[in-house]
Amino acid sequence: MMFDETTIIYILEIIVGGLLVGVGVHFVPVGGAPAAMAQATGIGTGTVQLAAGSGLTGLLAAGLMMSVTDNIWLVLASGAVGAGIMVGSTMLTGSWIYAYAVGVPFASAKVTYDPITGFSQPPYIAPGTVGHGIPTVCYVSGLIGGMMGGLGGAMIYYALYLINGNAALSAMFAIGIFLVNAVIASWNIQGTIEGFHDPKFKKWPFAFRACLIASALLALASVFITGGA
Amino acid sequence: MSVGGAAGGAPSAYEPQKIRIYGLAGSIVGLYLGAILNSALNTEVFSFIGAVAAIFAVVMGANSVRRICAYGIGTGVPSIGMLALGMGIIAVMFGLSLAETVGFGLAGPIITLIYAGIFGYIIGVIANKVIKFNIPVMEEGNADLSMAGALAILGWSFAVSGTLGYDSIVNDVLMTGYIAIIFIAGGLAILHPFNANLGPDEKQDRTLVNAIMVGGTGHDRHGNWCLADPGPGYRTSADSHRLCHMVLLLQDVL
Repeated sequence: MMFDETTIIYILEIIVGGLLVGVGVHFVPVGGAPAAMAQATGIGTGTVQLAAGSGLTGLLAAGLMMSVTDNIWLVLASGAVGAGIMVGSTMLTGSWIYAYAVGVPFASAKVTYDPITGFSQPPYIAPGTVGHGIPTVCYVSGLIGGMMGGLGGAMIYYALYLINGNAALSAMFAIGIFLVNAVIASWNIQGTIEGFHDPKFKKWPFAFRACLIASALLALASVFITGGA
Repeated sequence: MSVGGAAGGAPSAYEPQKIRIYGLAGSIVGLYLGAILNSALNTEVFSFIGAVAAIFAVVMGANSVRRICAYGIGTGVPSIGMLALGMGIIAVMFGLSLAETVGFGLAGPIITLIYAGIFGYIIGVIANKVIKFNIPVMEEGNADLSMAGALAILGWSFAVSGTLGYDSIVNDVLMTGYIAIIFIAGGLAILHPFNANLGPDEKQDRTLVNAIMVGGTGHDRHGNWCLADPGPGYRTSADSHRLCHMVLLLQDVL
């Protein structure tokens, strides 16, 4: 493989895709195990599970669009919307369980007033917990994060597919790049975050730098991959 | 921030260096033995050696998950297993493809191993220097993990396809979708042992036997299953048994 202009563009696309995944993880309200017991705000599972779920849905959506057209904007939009729907429906059904089964009001412990609705938060936080449920700001933040992840995944998939022309190979490779970036980003937030209003969100430049190095190495490896016979 | 109260390095009966040597040597020798026997005797019955080779890699990976996660990484043990397989799949595809391009297909596992080791080490450096984890074993632990993930995928892929050729692995493993099962079975085999056993009474031998067990769910091209039994005297968690049976069932259905 020669390093001509198109190859450099593919490498850049893969790097940008990896960065979108890495930064997108910071938007998703990941609550981890405490949230599963309704003792912390966010979705009650780990970052990697959420990132993998939304990312794989985004890849499927992008792959489906890719089988119809190779217009990059349509592929990217399809991936972003697919992943956004996945995270959105996860948060929606999660909210039903928090509201109707667990029976907690949705409240964030990181802000006094919800930045979007302006509702007061502290009166609704049960003593001994750090918030519960998925308040509006977390929901919006999660949608943004999911769409960023899907956009990144679709961008990686698009570049890989143009490099090797093999859908199965590109999808697996994209999943690999996706997982590496998602795990690095989730290490940066130490497992839990509420969304863009969380003080931990300010740490995103660290993940940006880390994902930049990792994605660059992965992108350099991926341009050598051929599609097989 | 410690998981299971074992912060500052988990006590171990087997040195990590020894397990690394056994893991790397066992899986590389197994892969080449299977590949050479298959091509020399013009048969595919030795493909199962690939699945056995993967177990060596899985034990090495499970041991490094144990070492890293004993410090507590805050995101849960599964994340690091997924990272191992994510790094592994890229290394495998890169190694096999590059070996095929330069016209020496048998060098695939070696190139895979070198790329996986270097990439894993760099991820470890990033985690310590950029994300500021400050876990002393992060670099070598991540290099081990990456190599273990790559060799596990390679071993099982070889068990399915019967050759180390890039084209046949793409056609028999990736295009058929077996890679998804290999990916998740390998991930479970590496992450599950420590995840199931962690706690104050976690012991290295129990964790590693659990790894052998979960890793034992390999298969050859013709759909025969081999399941390594840990033998009496070891207390393995009930859900690892369930997991083995689930993986077995799932693979049987396919």
